[in-house]
Amino acid sequence: MVQTEFESLEGMSEACARGLGNLLWALADTKLLLGYHYGEWTFGTPALEAAVANCSLSQTELGHVRLLHAVLKKHWGEDPELLIERRPAAEFANVTFLDQLVEDWAAYVAANAVVDLAATRVLHTLQGSAFKPIRMSVDKMLDEERHHLHHGRGWFRSLAARSDGAKRLAEATRDALRAVAVWLGPADDAGDRALVAARVKAASNADLFAALTQDLTALAREAGLPLEPARPSSFGGWDARTRRMDARGPADEIVFHLRGSANELFKLS
Amino acid sequence: MIYEVFARRSHDEELKHVGSVNAADDDLAKAYAWTLYDEESWVEMCVVPRDSVIPITPHGRIPLWGN
Repeated sequence: MVQTEFESLEGMSEACARGLGNLLWALADTKLLLGYHYGEWTFGTPALEAAVANCSLSQTELGHVRLLHAVLKKHWGEDPELLIERRPAAEFANVTFLDQLVEDWAAYVAANAVVDLAATRVLHTLQGSAFKPIRMSVDKMLDEERHHLHHGRGWFRSLAARSDGAKRLAEATRDALRAVAVWLGPADDAGDRALVAARVKAASNADLFAALTQDLTALAREAGLPLEPARPSSFGGWDARTRRMDARGPADEIVFHLRGSANELFKLS
Repeated sequence: MIYEVFARRSHDEELKHVGSVNAADDDLAKAYAWTLYDEESWVEMCVVPRDSVIPITPHGRIPLWGN
């Protein structure tokens, strides 16, 4: 008999357990980097309200990281401190668009409207998950993510309507969408297939990317912005654990700040 | 555009004016209202474009609530 609900990894196929661990790790890393970049953009925003919003967005993303790390610790034995403090940058599984400093407001808007949206869409596929421990946290995260989506969409429209902002926004959106396509992975990823088959996840990442592209295209069209197709022609070298096609990771400077390396001496043991 | 923000803490409490935000569209107004006025656990929050407020008093001038 096929098990329909999982309280833990017991009874779950190895491919499914590995695929789910990889997915949650990737979500946590993407949210960690989103939280970092939102925090960085607490200053220098085009509107004071956006600065306050970014502070709030950063807090919620970091709160979600804690929730995801708690699940990873309990069921996969991952040490949350190790995940941030000791892991080499090349093992981070975040969307690569967040690897470098978010250099301007257009790139920030692309991170908010595209990358954050992609992570939220993945959460949506886990809303009725057969893996009960994640289901408990997803509703809270999705409730908070509504405000992130409003913020991303609102700024996307605002920048697209400006002659000096539209071109840069189109470039940043294209780059973000390409990075998301790689992060979601190839259509034949065995881990993703296993998750959908076990009803741990409601839709495949390929379907999710198609829906995401459709929504963003509609938003861009409404705003009069051209949006190029973003799916790579090949996923050569793609690694299911890091969701990358190369062995790079977040920039050293970012990892340094994530770890609080400058304050190593003062850390509580 | 200025939006007025209204909220209530419980279902038996009246909706009250809690502030205003300056936003380019409804989506941004919702995000700003939620992140700026998060001092309470609101059970309901909504925004109204100030332009949609119809003054009744003879010299009813906007702004009505500041800003």
